[in-house]
Amino acid sequence: MAIDMSQFYQVFFEESAEHLAAMEGLLLDLDIENPDSEQLNAIFRAAHSIKGSAGTFGFTDLAETTHILENLLDRIRKQELGLRPDMVDAFLECGDLLRDMLEGHQGRGEVDQRAVEAICSRLRQLSSDPLQQTGSDSSPNLAATEAASPDAIGAMRVFDIQFVPTEISASGEGVANLLEELASLGQLTILSQPNAETGKVGYWQLRLATGLGQEAFADQIDFIAENGAWRIVEDKSASADGASAFGFFDDSPGVPDEDRGYGFFAPLEESAKKCEAEDKPSEDAYGFFESLPDAPGLKTSPADASEGDGYGFFEPLPDTSAAPVIEEGDGFGFFAPLPTPAAVQVVETPKAEVSASPVLSASTNVDHEAPSAHGSRAGRAAKAATPVANGDSSIRVSIEKVDQLINLVGELVITQAMLLQTATQMQEAVPERLANGLAQLERNTRDLQESVMSIRMMPISFVFSRFPRVVRDLSGKLGKQVELKTSGETTELDKGLIERIVDPLTHLIRNSLDHGIELPEKRVAAGKNPVGTITLKAYHQGGNIVIEVGDDGAGLPRNKILAKARERGLPVSDQMTDQEVFNLIFEAGFSTADQVTDVSGRGVGMDVVRRNIQSMGGRVEIESMLGVGTRMTVRLPLTLAILDGMSVAVGSQTYILPLSYVMESFQPQVGDMKTLSNQARVIQVRGEYLPVIVLHELFNLKPISSDFTQGIMVVVDADGVKAALFVDALVGQHQVVIKSLEANYRRVQGISGATIMGDGHVALILDVSAIAGMAKTTMQKAG
Amino acid sequence: MEAMTHGGTVAGDEDQVPSEYLTFTLGSEEYAIDILKVQEIRGYEQPTLIANAPRFIKGVINLRGIIVPIVDLRIKFNLGKVEYTPFTVVIILNVAGRVIGAVVDSVSDVFSLTRTQIRTAPDFSGSFDTKYILGLATIDTRMMIVTDIERLMTSADMELIDDASASN
Repeated sequence: MAIDMSQFYQVFFEESAEHLAAMEGLLLDLDIENPDSEQLNAIFRAAHSIKGSAGTFGFTDLAETTHILENLLDRIRKQELGLRPDMVDAFLECGDLLRDMLEGHQGRGEVDQRAVEAICSRLRQLSSDPLQQTGSDSSPNLAATEAASPDAIGAMRVFDIQFVPTEISASGEGVANLLEELASLGQLTILSQPNAETGKVGYWQLRLATGLGQEAFADQIDFIAENGAWRIVEDKSASADGASAFGFFDDSPGVPDEDRGYGFFAPLEESAKKCEAEDKPSEDAYGFFESLPDAPGLKTSPADASEGDGYGFFEPLPDTSAAPVIEEGDGFGFFAPLPTPAAVQVVETPKAEVSASPVLSASTNVDHEAPSAHGSRAGRAAKAATPVANGDSSIRVSIEKVDQLINLVGELVITQAMLLQTATQMQEAVPERLANGLAQLERNTRDLQESVMSIRMMPISFVFSRFPRVVRDLSGKLGKQVELKTSGETTELDKGLIERIVDPLTHLIRNSLDHGIELPEKRVAAGKNPVGTITLKAYHQGGNIVIEVGDDGAGLPRNKILAKARERGLPVSDQMTDQEVFNLIFEAGFSTADQVTDVSGRGVGMDVVRRNIQSMGGRVEIESMLGVGTRMTVRLPLTLAILDGMSVAVGSQTYILPLSYVMESFQPQVGDMKTLSNQARVIQVRGEYLPVIVLHELFNLKPISSDFTQGIMVVVDADGVKAALFVDALVGQHQVVIKSLEANYRRVQGISGATIMGDGHVALILDVSAIAGMAKTTMQKAG
Repeated sequence: MEAMTHGGTVAGDEDQVPSEYLTFTLGSEEYAIDILKVQEIRGYEQPTLIANAPRFIKGVINLRGIIVPIVDLRIKFNLGKVEYTPFTVVIILNVAGRVIGAVVDSVSDVFSLTRTQIRTAPDFSGSFDTKYILGLATIDTRMMIVTDIERLMTSADMELIDDASASN
């Protein structure tokens, strides 16, 4: 191939992985008894898109396997076959293998060819019942679509191809290779070509007579020419099969039996009717859908609509759960909340020129071959033609670019703060207009910062969506009956966190399944519902996001843990609180499982879970009651990038206290401070004795004054541990951009990060829980 | 400069390709580091202290939005007079994907050196471990200690980077 396809591989891998994930989610959601046709269609589309792009990129193994999968799916959605549970199993397994293949193509891991063959034959077997046309493998891709396609294959078709190559492909080998390739497909005539002297960028007109469809070469042309700078027209007059008259729907009665609506739905009422008549509007209709709010097919599930190749107009997607899908970049086209007639008309006008000849209709039988490439092309073409109608579309942007943007905005915020500070120092001397401008700037930067930050935010459903599968597979393997309940999927958190929370959460869930939930017999004997429940919950609390993994299983056996800890020589005593005992399971190599299964029990894991979560600046806590259940609570910072903080002065330095930890602050009076065994200091706050942490002592700084009555006590609550921090003064309250100290330095105990203050100086952010922990150890030492 | 090339060893092509080195002084000693590791040179500004850090780590500064730790090599190696004046120089290094600032007495020159001009340093004991020394180079009458600054800055001695042993 003339064009270096590898530059698109990454996009393909990402897209395919998303399609696979979507497919899996849908499969798990599927009600086997009574499958929703929309869902089936969506699953089909996902498989279909993978096949199409895999074929385009030359990953034949992927394309072939998906093809077999797709055949079966196609028959199911056409209700030629009933859906059976074993099919879903086979689909899921197939999805896993496809994922392996994708990984394999990316150079990670190997694909088990035998497994691939096994699943292929299983899928074939599932789809081979008397109704099935046989031997679809030899003429792949078409078997499923033939019935619907009026264009019989085999007939010679003549295409007029017009394009203007891009400069790069024109100056390189691109055009020559294209011509060569086209010539190999059939009889190629060059009708006109640009003058060689004026440069190669120019108008080309070719005529190709071939037995193949447009899909065989459309992609190549797309790579050579810019979107919209090429077109393929099937010359029907020259074609042997003149029966299919395409064009405007209102004057071509031959078309409506097509179940794909390309081209034109000229009068709106007509088109609306047609879409409904087609009864599967979201299936393959790449044209313009009525975006009427009552359109039944489109209304069902926003995720469905944007998930596959639904390019075209959809109704606005109000559900936030759909937002991630759009972000992912699948939904090309228009999801704009456009008033219907306007939208269609806007599109119509520029399109008329293209559609006047039966352009897109010629590609009707293309869509089952290369849907995603094709679909996106259609979407892009339409987009190019209708800038006015452009609504919510999505683009794929690399994380680095977003991070760079966030950093730059952070800089801007700092600069703005600096300006403001300078102006404040000038006081009366500041011209009013300058002051107003600065105030405006402050608002704008804040808004800008918020919206930039939100780019990185993703709903946690991205993580949660993979767990139904985990639970399903594992519970099957362990012979347990488990129901997974999730809530708060729309809770948003930083993408960086999303990626890193997956492994720890998976581990917690596996743990709950393996150790928590009992076997059905045991549960019945204990008077519980034989079906165990695992609850997965996410919500915001203060500046944190909290993720809970709960189960109604056996609970943690305190005595067993203690016994095991003694066995391992850990320092334990019976007086330890439950919390402390349970925390023992986070010790490396600790396992109470009687036998090691392949699910868990090797004692690796919980320590890794804790380490991973701590490295994200989070904490994990366990609550458990024997016989009732266990709940693991993971607390994570909302984002890694921004924080509401209170700045405090300690000696010559300024530190930031995360506001979410601060309870109150006050100036201590003489005699408030008490000492315990003459070492540890405590202070009484409303009847409670709190340990006092003197920050300047902790950090070895020279205080402004060592007299406690001259400073301020800040009472902090770090996850239940309260302490009073003694600082010299409170400076102010800011929203600060968190900068990593570890990027260029290393972890510092008691410091969670750094930020840049308005004057350009660095201030360190205090890690309150670590500091409270330090206080505890000094107290223990003292006591 | 070609005259400096000493014979005796068969030098490969690579050895003849000159690289540029930045030289700086610590006390009376002159050090040379690969200029490609140097991001910029700037004046000293009062950094933000890091609690309980070693004495030679002065703290962190804000370098256009990046938090950069500042190491005073004079304190680390007990060389030169440790004072901070408007002329105190910080070399901002880009090593191992990190940005680190190093305080030195002064920055003197940029030289081109081929590999053959760098001679192996004799083993000696001192605060500056020989494993960080690539060799010695002489230009005119000056001897320069060619330093593997990346290795030095990422070493456990500098306590700049978390590693398995350093983490608690």
